[in-house]
Amino acid sequence: MKHTFKMLVGAFALTMMTAEALAANWSPPGPIKMLIAFRAGGGADTQARLIAEALESKMGWKFIPEQVTGKGGVNMLNALSKQPNDGTAIGMAVTESLGYNLATSKSRLKASDFTGLSTTAGFQLGIIGRTKDGWKSMRDVIAAAKAGKQIRLGTMSPRLADLTYLLEKANGVKFNIVSYRGGIAVLNAINAGDVDVGYVAGPQAKGVKAGDLVELASALSKPLNATPSAPKLSDLGVNFNADGQFVFVGPGGMPAAAQAALGNAIAGVVNDPNQKVAKIIKRIFGGAITIKGKKLDAHLQQGYDDAGKLAKAVSQ
Amino acid sequence: MGVGDYILQGILAFFLGSELFSIFGIPVSINIAMVLAGFLLGIMVGATPGLAGPVAMAISLPLLLSSFGYHASALLPVLGFLIGIMKGATVGGAVPAILFNTPGTPDAYMTTLDGFPMAQKGQAKKALRIAHFSSASGDTFSDLVLFVCAPFLAIIIEAHLDLPEKTALLILSLSFIAAVIGGSPAKGLISTGLGLLAVFIGTGEDFYPRLSLGTDQLARGFPITTAVLGVLILGAVFEGIDNLLREKRETGSFSAVRESGDQGLHWRDIRRLMPYISRSALIGTAIGALPGIGSTLAATLGYTVGKSRHQKRKSPDDLDFGAGAPQGIAATEAANSSVSGANLIPVLSLGIPGNAAAVFLILAAESIGGFVPGPAVFKFTTDTVNPELVIAFGLFTAMAFANVLNWTIGGLFMRTMGIMIRIPKQMLLPSVLLLTLTAIYIQETRLEAIWFALGFGVLGYAMRKLEISPLPFVIAFILGDKLELSARRAFSASGNDPFFLFSTPIATILMLLAIGVLVYTARKRRLEASA
Repeated sequence: MKHTFKMLVGAFALTMMTAEALAANWSPPGPIKMLIAFRAGGGADTQARLIAEALESKMGWKFIPEQVTGKGGVNMLNALSKQPNDGTAIGMAVTESLGYNLATSKSRLKASDFTGLSTTAGFQLGIIGRTKDGWKSMRDVIAAAKAGKQIRLGTMSPRLADLTYLLEKANGVKFNIVSYRGGIAVLNAINAGDVDVGYVAGPQAKGVKAGDLVELASALSKPLNATPSAPKLSDLGVNFNADGQFVFVGPGGMPAAAQAALGNAIAGVVNDPNQKVAKIIKRIFGGAITIKGKKLDAHLQQGYDDAGKLAKAVSQ
Repeated sequence: MGVGDYILQGILAFFLGSELFSIFGIPVSINIAMVLAGFLLGIMVGATPGLAGPVAMAISLPLLLSSFGYHASALLPVLGFLIGIMKGATVGGAVPAILFNTPGTPDAYMTTLDGFPMAQKGQAKKALRIAHFSSASGDTFSDLVLFVCAPFLAIIIEAHLDLPEKTALLILSLSFIAAVIGGSPAKGLISTGLGLLAVFIGTGEDFYPRLSLGTDQLARGFPITTAVLGVLILGAVFEGIDNLLREKRETGSFSAVRESGDQGLHWRDIRRLMPYISRSALIGTAIGALPGIGSTLAATLGYTVGKSRHQKRKSPDDLDFGAGAPQGIAATEAANSSVSGANLIPVLSLGIPGNAAAVFLILAAESIGGFVPGPAVFKFTTDTVNPELVIAFGLFTAMAFANVLNWTIGGLFMRTMGIMIRIPKQMLLPSVLLLTLTAIYIQETRLEAIWFALGFGVLGYAMRKLEISPLPFVIAFILGDKLELSARRAFSASGNDPFFLFSTPIATILMLLAIGVLVYTARKRRLEASA
């Protein structure tokens, strides 16, 4: 038994080593098409393009960035699934695109139809409000709703709308949930007074620092960096969170060497403090998070499976 | 720091930016060079059929970012260049509309109505002069309003426009354009309906595609360039080829346009045009300050107001609007150009873009960092320096400088484009076709886009043959997505009230106006027909 175990460990180590060794020698058979699921010019798009630029100068690979936006990243995943899986096509989305969004899209694709390369960064996702409204935490907003005030809450994805529904249910209140495309749109709506509070994932940093905006709750499993005192959704009776990262994936069944080489290369530049992209990630998204390879595959599968659990909780 | 200090700091920040070279010991800042370069590029791009300012901004933004980097010192040169493009393209956009009847943007469509007939009568240069003068006047006026009112105007407007009012305003824009443009309200509504149908394919809030017939090609919807350029430019090209073939069959040769008459713009012309320009400038500025409506409504409204004034006051030998009236060009160009400055009011004070050009300005500011358009920009702090306010005044200086360029070299540069009128039509039309298809493929790198564009071209051709104006179609296509989103938002924000469009007095008035304008136009037409 012990022997078999040792053999297994040895075999596993050998596979890992060969993948790593092969990864070191791997180079793409041609220019790499980079499909970006975010609109041109925003923070996420800038991040993707800077990663491409950094890899071009560091590894000597050639990238062709292309925007495929819409449907919460599902359009990009559809397009990516038709590309060759030899490492000449990769795509950037968020983990939510491969989880909740893919699971509810009625697409024939699943998370397992993609090869995880590397995540790059998380977000500071919270519920944000204006300082001048006087709310200090989401508990105050809930109390106001209980007192009969109509509260408009801006969301930027159906998953967040689902979480808000659970938040309403847990606290016996009702919000008017208004959906927007992206956190910046929610932030604009908050500033314009179209909604009272809303989910924003990073662009609020400046307003919070200046004292115009306040982080009322963290939508993550961890407290927010700028406002650690803001309650988490779990503190408010919701057993789900909106954790997520920016992620690079390839089409399904990519050779292990290509998966490792691309994943290591991407993680390498976002973790390198001298790279321009690492500075941007630090400034807008609070620092790099790099989950790679098989671990990432499992992480994505987990997100896809959890989507079913959330949908079930909401339909109860 | 007082208000005056902030303004001075902003002006100095623009003119004393990092030195590019010096003339006789006077340093020339990189900002000046960037605005100039952007302005010239903008005119060229605007003057090329099938290209418009936003395309040039989209292509240059990543290049600018990678050469200037992500530090606050990059803000003025990068934004200055983009502002230059915006201004140049606004002026240059009249060139293809007047010379070839191929508007690059929906708002230039109204310019074709009188500009092209003038060019056909050999008055191309004069038409270009009028377009430039009106455009520059409208633009300058709008900028002045921006400089003075930006800090507070947008905030006041926003406070009175809630979600239901925004939806009602979009419905009013569509119904107004359907009613007043083209043959009849019925034809206008058909055109609007087709536009809405086209834009609703593949879009929507769900993660699965709508109306795509199960195909991957339609699942992503029609790209906006294919619909706009297809209907406006390809439709016009197909019609032009059709006319050319008929001409050849009937006369055995192609006719050529010869310059005739006086090409200059004189003081008496200006005096005659001024009432139209000033009205349109006011209209354009007012519409520009409303977040998210855009310049086409301004152009339409300016043209319509000008037309009704012209009908009442013209002398018997003056040409009608639509037959080559210089006043028509002036009314349109002043209105659509005066939107661009005022459009920056909601951008700078609220961070909400009103048109595609403003989107790129915001994207550039966000990518570079150090300047976040929004309510924080216009805080006149006295104890500490608000660096964003200095940048804002630096941007105003860049805009004022671009206006000076516009008045001085802009017209000259634009008129040299007038030489293109000498290109024979049988060579021009295929070139425009090729150029437009290339421009579409550059922006949408997939082959379906070409097929979509050709399809929309055929639609545009058919609409022209049936005397249905393509403009309501294009506007509906552009505003359709915004309309759906804002209606959904207003509905959910009102707590799912089915009568949300009549929930406030302002929204109710806007809705009644939307219905009223259709009924009024239809009745007026019936009365005119029976008279």
